[in-house]
Amino acid sequence: MSVILKTEKLRVEFTSREFRQKTKVALSSLDLEVNAGEIFGFLGPNGAGKTTTINVLLGFVTPKSGAAYLFGIDVRQPIARQRIGYLPEMTYYYKFLTAEELLRFYAKIFGLARAEADKRIDRLLKLVDLEQARRRPLKTYSKGMQQRVGLAQALINDPDLLVLDEPTSGLDPLGRMKVREIIQRVKNEGKTVFFSSHELGEVETVCDRVVIINDGELKAEGRVADLVQKYQTSSLEQVFLKVVGYETSGARAPAATRTPIA
Amino acid sequence: MNKIFAISNVVLLEMYRRKDFYVLFIVTALITAVMGSVTFFKDPEIVRYLKAICLFLIWASSLFIAIGATARQIPAERESRTIFPLMAKPVSRAQILLGKFLGCWLACGAALVIFYAFFGCVTATREHQWPLANYFQAWALHWAMLGIVVAMTLLGSLVLTAVSSNITITFIATVAILLVGRHLHQVALSMAEPSATIIAGLYYVIPHLELFDLRERIVQNWPVVPWGIWFIALVYAAAYTALLLLLSWLVFRKKALQ
Amino acid sequence: MKTTRPFVLLLLLLALFCSGLAARIDRWFMGWPGNHEDSLNPLDVMIGDGQKLFAGSFYREADVYYHSGFYPTIFDNRGAFETPHMAEDTGAVASHNQGGEGGFLGPPLDFIDAFNRHFTPNRHSHLDEGGPTEDLSKSREVREILPWLKISSELDPENVQTYIVTAYWLRTRMNKVAEGEQVLREGLRHNPDDPQLLYELGRVYYENYHDLQRARNIWESALRGWGKQMAGKPDSDKFNFDNKFIVEQLQTHLALLEEAAGNFDAAIAHWKQAKSVSPDPGGLQKHIDDLRQKFVTQTNAPAATSH
Repeated sequence: MSVILKTEKLRVEFTSREFRQKTKVALSSLDLEVNAGEIFGFLGPNGAGKTTTINVLLGFVTPKSGAAYLFGIDVRQPIARQRIGYLPEMTYYYKFLTAEELLRFYAKIFGLARAEADKRIDRLLKLVDLEQARRRPLKTYSKGMQQRVGLAQALINDPDLLVLDEPTSGLDPLGRMKVREIIQRVKNEGKTVFFSSHELGEVETVCDRVVIINDGELKAEGRVADLVQKYQTSSLEQVFLKVVGYETSGARAPAATRTPIA
Repeated sequence: MNKIFAISNVVLLEMYRRKDFYVLFIVTALITAVMGSVTFFKDPEIVRYLKAICLFLIWASSLFIAIGATARQIPAERESRTIFPLMAKPVSRAQILLGKFLGCWLACGAALVIFYAFFGCVTATREHQWPLANYFQAWALHWAMLGIVVAMTLLGSLVLTAVSSNITITFIATVAILLVGRHLHQVALSMAEPSATIIAGLYYVIPHLELFDLRERIVQNWPVVPWGIWFIALVYAAAYTALLLLLSWLVFRKKALQ
Repeated sequence: MKTTRPFVLLLLLLALFCSGLAARIDRWFMGWPGNHEDSLNPLDVMIGDGQKLFAGSFYREADVYYHSGFYPTIFDNRGAFETPHMAEDTGAVASHNQGGEGGFLGPPLDFIDAFNRHFTPNRHSHLDEGGPTEDLSKSREVREILPWLKISSELDPENVQTYIVTAYWLRTRMNKVAEGEQVLREGLRHNPDDPQLLYELGRVYYENYHDLQRARNIWESALRGWGKQMAGKPDSDKFNFDNKFIVEQLQTHLALLEEAAGNFDAAIAHWKQAKSVSPDPGGLQKHIDDLRQKFVTQTNAPAATSH
């Protein structure tokens, strides 16, 4: 199985005024590998370094040391992102553009021919139920609609790797179902999905493999069933809590990590 | 190149949908119309004062458009976080920078075409002539100058944190160069060291934006600037613009977006 | 409600205090010399005497236009432009200019300066002589200086030169004699009995209306006006360059008028007065001698033919 995404001893440091010019280590020698065709869950508590890792993969942040590769290409080269689609946690797009214009813009960035772009735009807008609103400016969209536009732009280039950062955050149950459907469809097409989420119930359902990081370090990695067995717990949530150092003695988990009712 | 054009297209769409240009054009047209309605000593052919006022308003408006629009580009993208979905695409920072520059500069060029066409119509009503070659030279040089200003503002937006600071500093620098840039060497010669060397150095380093100001020649009906000289000025503008864009890229490529 | 009551009371107290203070200050303000409240001109109220600065600037701008933009800045040698040429050319204003008109820029200081000169007006010319293209058919374009002169006179009605220059160009190039006369009369409304304005008005009647009697009256009135202005002033003021100039101009023109009217005695009397303030008394003396000779010849001529 070919490796789609790889990090080697990735180290990221930030100098923050907040910490009186002290250096904060966001990632400490992170080694990751994601194989083609799998759905990969990237888990960790708030501040663990999940978003930083994604930022390095997308070229937003330069690592202090180490390397990251997408499809064997160093992430510092823009061409590394030719075959990926990215859905950020918070969807922010040009408010003065319509959904159609936004997708056309991104299609041009990917170098799609006009005819092909038109076909894909029509298909994607139908997929995310935004056909009727395609000519309205994005500033008139609700949060759910903006999230769906986000999904559409992430799929415009028919990516081989889909990077999703908290894809169901803020979505109602229908929206979450839509996202799950899309993830499944992408997997059925043999594509790879890399997503970070706090919704452990969903992760448990869809992911082939998961990684749990904490304080910038990789704490656990493997298939869900294998991890549950290894840590002698009954669910991924229990594994998560154990890995991040929260002792569970059968007590109810704190609200932040409680699995919501799907 | 397609990516650069795609990004510039988005900038153009934004400027088209914002109301800044329309407001400035209407203000220019209104003031010119009011001034044009005044007759001095019952002579309807007096026109140069009107040309001067109209061109001054055009220059002021063009600077507001160029600096105001450009200063917002990258800071607004970062603030609204629209830069992240963009950067997640196979586009380099240099392409983003060039796309932003091209969009702002093309928008300035389009605005100038409309402004100068208006100017030409106003003056033709009194002068009954249309010196197209002169207007073309003036428009081209003005547009070239705005290229330098846009590049300068882009660099400022990457170096300075606040948009308002960038707008203020760039505007003051531009106006200062236009007013006194050509005289700095003369001033330096009358000063003692080390001020003389500093001012003289500044004189040779700054982009001489006053080269592109043909207002006086247009107002006073001077003949065209020799075409070879005009072309050299355009090359000068291109060189300075390229230098400023290079500096911007050097700053931008290492800048953490988060 | 209880917490807002003290603030309301405080506000009322402050309002009361401010009203009392305003009433107290108002009496003083009415008597203050800088009070322009009785003026309807918003510029008067807003910037007061600052208008004169702008007026000077617009007056200079007219001369810039007269030169089609080729004009020294504050960084250049302005010796030849102390008196605007548009004013100097009227013959009614004393010139303080020194040096060549076209060389204020000097040679280029560097290659940038040399290159720069292609993009700005770079040759000395006067609008009434055809401008930079020296096309005499365009000499009427000197009208372009008029708006700036008009604005300047509105902002500083006490600057008589503005009216003189405006009137001169209106009547000599624009063929708008009536408008020129109107400008001078407006100047006289703001500056009663001003000798320079009266001199120029006299020229209107002499050169344009050919009304010698009226011109004579006006010029004599100008001389009386000059006398009134100089009354009580020291000789150094009376006989400074500008004051001598206007007297010389008046006396010279009166002399010419009398010559044209055939009144040689009166003409010679005026020439003598002109000579006393002229920078070229020798030249004027020669003219007086020639005139005397001409007078004698004319007087003897009928006697010669009768023989």
